[in-house]
Amino acid sequence: MKLHFTTTHQDHRIALLAALAITIHIIESAFPSPLPGVKPGLANVVTLFTFIRYGWHSALQVSLLRVIISSLVLGTFLSPTFLLSLSGALLSLVSLIVIQLPFNQSSFHRHQPSALGYAVIASISHMSGQFLVAWYFFIPHPGLFQLLPIFITFAVILGIVSGIITQLLINQIQQRKL
Amino acid sequence: MLTIGKVIFKPADILILFAASILTLWLYSIFWFSANQQGEAEILRVQFADNPPLEYTLSEDRTIVLAGKIGDSLIEIKQGKARFIHSACRNQFCVFHGWLTVAGDSTACLPNRISISLKSALSDYDAIAGSQ
Repeated sequence: MKLHFTTTHQDHRIALLAALAITIHIIESAFPSPLPGVKPGLANVVTLFTFIRYGWHSALQVSLLRVIISSLVLGTFLSPTFLLSLSGALLSLVSLIVIQLPFNQSSFHRHQPSALGYAVIASISHMSGQFLVAWYFFIPHPGLFQLLPIFITFAVILGIVSGIITQLLINQIQQRKL
Repeated sequence: MLTIGKVIFKPADILILFAASILTLWLYSIFWFSANQQGEAEILRVQFADNPPLEYTLSEDRTIVLAGKIGDSLIEIKQGKARFIHSACRNQFCVFHGWLTVAGDSTACLPNRISISLKSALSDYDAIAGSQ
């Protein structure tokens, strides 16, 4: 018996972007981090790029593929790390969708934030999602909240960095008319 | 509009950055700089080995002696504060920690399996006591 899949152009694009995100995620996880939970989050550049260029449907698929496959490769599938990663990814995508809602009307569309604004929102909500899951499931101690300001500070700074990277990427790709 | 290199920031970006910095400062102000967010310290809670937690009021001065695995630990309550005054352990971290003064302060002697913390009348039981 032969299996036949009909794949669309969109499927190929999602596979490509997900592969890119997974690669970045895995490379990134090999570097030590100054603070547990703080990572540059360069894999989110891919998610963000997908969100801005192709919409949240594609971004959701890329993001879920990244979280699941890289956890399988790294051996953290269904472990606390995986749960943290998943909750961060989902919350950041949800908040991106919510932020974009008012800009979906055509009269307002040109006012929507660039990659920088989206990146900061994504990274703050990613961090908050992870933090809340960590607090609720793993370390349910009120003292943990003393760390929240530090984590959010890192999230803002790293969000700005990844936002600038994403915007440069978008500019490059627009110039080359890919 | 603000440009850095080839990156153009839109008004919405600046608004988001502004909101993000306000959020960050606000978090610092609640979690770092608000004094006594948990209320006045009134109770010393002692968790000793596998026993249920013991509670002592801070309004009465007293000395608590706990006979642990490696020897005695002495905890002193005085004038609404509490501290370890003696421990049988080698590192003496708990003694060097000094006074616990505000609700939420805590210290522990791991070799002797004791942890103490100050509670206010407001603060409810945290989850550490429930975890194994």
